[in-house]
Amino acid sequence: MNPGSNSIDLTGKAVSSGIGIGPVTIINTKSTTVRPDKIDPDEVKTHLQKLRDSRNLLLSEYEILRDESHLQSAKDILEAQIQTLKDPEVKKRVQYKIESERLSVGYAIFSTLNEYIQLLESSGVQWANDRAVDIVAIRDEWIDVVSENRREFSMSKGDVIFAEEIPPALMVKISRIKVAAIVMEKGGDTSHAVILSQSLGIPCVINTHWNRYQVKEGMLVIVDGLDGHVIINPDDQQLTKYKKRREQDLSRVKESLKWAKKEHLTKCGKPYFLRANVEFLEELPKIATHGAKGIGLLRTETVLFETTEFDVKEQVEFYSNVLKTTEQESVTIRLFDAGGDKLINDKNSEANPFLGWRGVRMLLDEPQLLKKQLEALYRVSEDYKGRLKILVPMVSRLEEIRALKKVAKEVRAELKAKNVKFDPSIPIGIMVEVPSVVMMANKIAEYVDFFSIGTNDLTQYTLAVDRGNEKISALFDSYHPAIWRMIKMTKEAADNHNIPISVCGEMASKPEAAACLMGMGINDLSMNTSAIPNVKAVLCSHTMKELIELSDRVLEEDELKGIHNLFSKWKIKD
Amino acid sequence: MVRKKVVVKNESGLHARPASVLVKVASGFESEFTIKMYGYHVNGKSILGVMTLAAEFGSEMELILEGSDEEKALDTIVELFESKFKEEN
Repeated sequence: MNPGSNSIDLTGKAVSSGIGIGPVTIINTKSTTVRPDKIDPDEVKTHLQKLRDSRNLLLSEYEILRDESHLQSAKDILEAQIQTLKDPEVKKRVQYKIESERLSVGYAIFSTLNEYIQLLESSGVQWANDRAVDIVAIRDEWIDVVSENRREFSMSKGDVIFAEEIPPALMVKISRIKVAAIVMEKGGDTSHAVILSQSLGIPCVINTHWNRYQVKEGMLVIVDGLDGHVIINPDDQQLTKYKKRREQDLSRVKESLKWAKKEHLTKCGKPYFLRANVEFLEELPKIATHGAKGIGLLRTETVLFETTEFDVKEQVEFYSNVLKTTEQESVTIRLFDAGGDKLINDKNSEANPFLGWRGVRMLLDEPQLLKKQLEALYRVSEDYKGRLKILVPMVSRLEEIRALKKVAKEVRAELKAKNVKFDPSIPIGIMVEVPSVVMMANKIAEYVDFFSIGTNDLTQYTLAVDRGNEKISALFDSYHPAIWRMIKMTKEAADNHNIPISVCGEMASKPEAAACLMGMGINDLSMNTSAIPNVKAVLCSHTMKELIELSDRVLEEDELKGIHNLFSKWKIKD
Repeated sequence: MVRKKVVVKNESGLHARPASVLVKVASGFESEFTIKMYGYHVNGKSILGVMTLAAEFGSEMELILEGSDEEKALDTIVELFESKFKEEN
C-alpha cells in the first residue's frame, strides 16, 4: 500500500473508543531469572498458592489458545504444554521442593523442569532433544507468571500496552497508570480488561495479531479505538491526521461533560438518576466530573481479594472511603460475586463457571465470607444512615433470599450483642440476571427491597450465549426482543409491589437503550462513569412522550433487526 | 494389580504425540499407572516421565495398573500400543 514508508497497519476489534498515540510497551515477553533462594517456613503456604494460581492461569490461557487454533500442529504443541502443566509428577516434585527443600516456587519450577530437560537432551533421540525446547519455553513462561507479583512491568504514562491478554490482576495495575491505549491479541468484549478500559476511557483494540519480530518496544504507534486500526511507525501525514482527531475527540468529551453539570431531568422535567458502576477507588473522582448520582453498583470482588482473608476492618475502610467520596448519594454494594469470568483462586475449576458456583450460591456455602462482608457493611452503616443498599448477586431461587436474610439477621444479632451500633434497615435487593427470577418476579418482589437488572448476564442466560466465546459473540445481543420483554415483566412486578427497580448492566450505558428504558419507566440507571455524559445528553434533550413512543415501538418488535433499525433511525433523528 | 508387556510399534518411537495420547487416555482412568522399562519406573500419567523414556521403535516395556478400573484401563492402553496410537495410516 505504502512502499515508501515502513509503517505497519494492523486491524483488530475496537472495544473502547478514543485515539491513543504513544510508544509500544510489550508485556509478558521477558523471562525472569531465578536464584536458589531459601524461603522461610511461613512462606511455604504462599509459594504453594502461587504455584496453584500460576498453573491454573497458564492452563486456562493455553486451553483457550488450543481451542481457538486451527492448525493441528499448533493444537498438538499446546496440548503437550497443557499436559506438562498438568503433569502429576511435576506437581509432586515442585511441591516437594517448596515444602521440604524450602525453595522458592520460581526456583522449584526451574530446577524440576531442568531435570526433565537434561534427561531429554541426553537421551540421544532426536525427537526427545527437540521436545526439550518446548519444556524450556514453558519453564520460562511459568516462571514469568509466578514472578509477576514481584516484577514491576516497566510501563509508564502515555505508553501503548501490547499484550496477548491481560489478566484481571495486571489490568488493575495498568489502570493505575495513565496508559495511552491497549492492544490485545485475545480477549472478549466483556472481559475484565475490556470493561475496565471502557470505564477508564482507555482506547482498546482486541483480537489484533502482530508479528513479534516487527513490533518492538518503544516504536511509535497509533491506536484507533473506534474502528480498530493499529498503526505502527506511522508517517507524518498519519500522525497529523490522528492527532487532529484526538483533539476533536477530547473536545467532544469536554462538550459532553457540560451535560454532566445539568440537572437530571428530561426535556419535560421528569427526574431520573444516572449512577456509576464502580470497582476501584481510582474510579471515584469520575463520579463528580461525569455527573453521576452516587453508585448504582459497587463491585467488591477486587477489594475483597486484596484483603487478608476478607478482614472486616479492611473492608470497612474501603466502604467508608467510597461513602465519603459520594457525599449524600446512595451507594448500592453488591456482595462478593466471584466465579464465572472472575479470577478465582479455587482448586476446583468448573467446566461451566457461568452456570456454576458463584454469587449467592457460593456466599451461602461460605458463611464466613458472607458474614464478614455483611458485618463490615452493617458496621459502616451507622455513619452513613440511609445511604447503603445491599445487592445480592446471581439469585435464582426464592429460598436463597430467605437463607441470605437469615444470615443477615444473625449478623445483626451478633453486632447487637457486642453493642455495636448500626442501621438495621439497610435495604436488601437482588440482581435480576437469571430468567427464573424474571418468571417469579411477582412473587420474589414480596421478599426483597429492590430489583437491579443485570443485562449482560440476563442476556447470556436467556439467549444461551456464552459471552466470552468469540465464535458466537455476534449472537450476544442485549437488544433481543426477549430481553426487552423480560425487563418489562420485571418492571411490572416491581410496580405491583411498589419496590424500586434499576438497570445496572451495560445496556444502560448505550444512549438509545437508556432512552428506551426511561420510556419503560425505569429511571434509575447505573453504568460506567464515562458513558454518563452521553446518556445524559440524550435524556435531557428528549421529552417523556418521545421516550415512551420509542419504548412502545421497541416492545412491539419481534426481531432483533427491527429493534436495531428503530434505534439507528432514532439516533439519526437525534 | 494387572501387568502386561508391550512393544512400541510406532516407527518413530513413542514420541511427543503418541506420548500425549497415552497420557491423556491413561489419565481418564482412576487406576495408578506405572511403566517399567530398562529398570526405570515412570508414572504413566506424567507426560514428561513418558517422554524421558525416549522409547524407540521396538522398545519393550511393561505396563502396570492398579486400581478399581485396572482391567479396563489395561485393555484400553494395550489397544493404543497395538493401533500405534492411531497415528500411522
